[in-house]
Amino acid sequence: MATILINGTEYPIPEGEKLNAIQMAKRVGVEIPYYCWHPSLSVVANCRMCEVEVGSKDPKTGEVKMMPKLVPGCQTPAKDGTVLVTDSAKVQEHQRMIMELLLLNHPLDCPVCDQAGECGLQDYSYEHGQSNHRFVEERIVNPRKDVSDLIQLNQDRCIMCTRCVRFTREITQTAELQVMRRGNHAEIATFPGVSLDDNPLAGNVVDLCPVGALLDKDFLHKQRVWFLAKHDSVCTHCSTGCNISVEENKGKIWRVKPRNNPHVNDYWICDEGRYGYKDDSAPDDLLEAMYVLKGDDHVAVAIDEAVRLVDRGLKQAVIGGRTVAGVLSPFLTVEEAYLMATYLKGMTSDAVLAVGPVPARGEDRTFSPDKSAGRSGDTSFLAPRPFTIHAEKAPNARGVRAVIEHVQGAVVEYDELLRKVEAGEVGALYVASGSPTDWIDEPTAAKVREKVAFLVVQDSRVGALAHKADVVLAGGTYAEKAGSYVNADGRIQYAGASLPPRDGSLPDLDLFAVLLDRPGGPARSSDVLAELAEAAPAFAAAKGGTLPLYGATLEASASSPRENGPPPFVDAWYAAMGAAKAR
Amino acid sequence: MRVDDPQLKKIEPPKMTLADRFFLPQVAAGLVVTGKHIFGVAFQDTAITVEYPEVQHVPSPVYRGVHRLNKDEEGRPKCVACMLCATACPAHCIDIVGATAPASWPDREKYPESFVIDELRCIYCGMCEEACPVEAIELTGLYDLTGLSREEMIFDKTKLLSVFDVTRDAEPMRFTTPPPEASSATQALESPVS
Repeated sequence: MATILINGTEYPIPEGEKLNAIQMAKRVGVEIPYYCWHPSLSVVANCRMCEVEVGSKDPKTGEVKMMPKLVPGCQTPAKDGTVLVTDSAKVQEHQRMIMELLLLNHPLDCPVCDQAGECGLQDYSYEHGQSNHRFVEERIVNPRKDVSDLIQLNQDRCIMCTRCVRFTREITQTAELQVMRRGNHAEIATFPGVSLDDNPLAGNVVDLCPVGALLDKDFLHKQRVWFLAKHDSVCTHCSTGCNISVEENKGKIWRVKPRNNPHVNDYWICDEGRYGYKDDSAPDDLLEAMYVLKGDDHVAVAIDEAVRLVDRGLKQAVIGGRTVAGVLSPFLTVEEAYLMATYLKGMTSDAVLAVGPVPARGEDRTFSPDKSAGRSGDTSFLAPRPFTIHAEKAPNARGVRAVIEHVQGAVVEYDELLRKVEAGEVGALYVASGSPTDWIDEPTAAKVREKVAFLVVQDSRVGALAHKADVVLAGGTYAEKAGSYVNADGRIQYAGASLPPRDGSLPDLDLFAVLLDRPGGPARSSDVLAELAEAAPAFAAAKGGTLPLYGATLEASASSPRENGPPPFVDAWYAAMGAAKAR
Repeated sequence: MRVDDPQLKKIEPPKMTLADRFFLPQVAAGLVVTGKHIFGVAFQDTAITVEYPEVQHVPSPVYRGVHRLNKDEEGRPKCVACMLCATACPAHCIDIVGATAPASWPDREKYPESFVIDELRCIYCGMCEEACPVEAIELTGLYDLTGLSREEMIFDKTKLLSVFDVTRDAEPMRFTTPPPEASSATQALESPVS
């Protein structure tokens, strides 16, 4: 077995992965500080922060030979017999020197800098730096500028790690950013006449920046990062299902950051998903109560009364011999779709379940970074993965379809249902949505209203159909509900709730649970998912109701071993360290 | 200085003697002080209370009363909306909304769009004053804080700045930024490591 010697202790090297010294040390709990290295970008070793003592052990004699000088850890492969020393006085002295050099011209404006609290310079200055500043000359002041409409560059905070430049060259392959001039005058800039505006992944350069140089104008000066509570979620703005961290404070979402998932989104999210939270963070048109149509006007009613009216109306339709139909929007979670389908099918086996319209916009756009093309520096540690922005702007079309197929046998398409409605075959219609945009236009809504005697709309916001419905149930936005989504590749992933339910609303899962009269209080998505996994072979991968960290593919059977990728990568400064670690 | 700094010296409280442990000598010493005060008030007119409100009490210079928001030379609030006071506040009574500074303030990056302190919730511990990196928030000697409603006791930015206008003469800013030192040649310091 291949082993590596780190600070005098021998550790086995995981097989099948090509790790560098930083990654290997991190796996075993030894921290090597770094700035410019990122697992998906080529190694340029220009920040010099990760330099450690490197040597090799002779496999026969066991003799250790160290290199005379320090070597960048990001460039050092972890292979059998490698010897790393990361805590010697020589290394510490070097780290202290690098910190001092990086901070020579860095302004002391942490109080007004948005990166403060998750800043590589702050953390490493505390861990490896010194408290005095020996440089007495004037610091270089470089006015802030914009690299796009949404991203601001404070050049005097930059440490020239060139992560952002490498991102635009290697991942999006659009190369908008460059390093202008040399040496002390070097600065990050866009090429003349180019900006990051047209780059759909531009927001990621803000996440990549280890200091406060590139800042998101959307978040600029609004919150301090230590106030934000982070919730693991899944983006619902397209069928890619990017893993995101929703960051919230005082009941309001302030920003969305990507989470690492090597099977889905790698380290990135697109700008549409990044800024899409605004639709769900307390806009004006969110439903504030349940409504019932009395006369020509909607009257706000208590939740239990509204739910009772829905149940009664649907049952009357069944008794009256009329067809009951349900529209399950692709914005519902798997669990919600399952409960809704069981509810309607439990009422009458003739109930028609249709999948809601799946919004599509533009075309699929895939970024396939190459292992070597467009890259500079050492690329031997890279495992490039493509990132796709799907045209299908709904998170769970496959999951809802799979649920309907399980409950009903075949999926009724939305257009087919509309034809049935127009033919007057549907007596009662239950539309459950959660779409961030209005997806039923005014003429369709009018047509549906005319033909359907009893119309229930469950949504998080006011739409054309809600204005005409008999009962309007206020459901949750994606941030307010927990559940699983099946993405375009058939991977089922769990998204936790980020916000509590709004006043006057109930998460959709609870609404269905109340309608079903499920025992045991509020419905837990994991219980429902476990039930579904028992009942439906298609969801066998979700056995037990819990999903692995990176989600599971629906093709995987219950008995097959759950795939485990490498531990999710997060830059050291985004994880609690320094003062926060000591608390 | 870190908690595990080797230069830190731990000090134990002194051991109590037998007389200390009886406490009676201390009680007697306390009664002597009380007696002195009674004697002073009765025979020497040295009362330490005042006839408020006819006579106004002047608190000690370190008294922690109503907050004020200091202004700089140009009359702008000194606050840079870093929210360190709100972070330090144990009573969570400070609410700040930060915003990008207007273009007419080239030396400033961020300023408080709104700055609200709930004076009823505040425990007047002075942590905000201590946390402030720009000496923008200070506790004044105003102790007679009254109001007819709870809303009235929630001080906004305008009100906090007006407290500064009222108290600036009686209590000049306690911490003014020290003048920049005369520039000297770069000194080499001994390395703390090795």
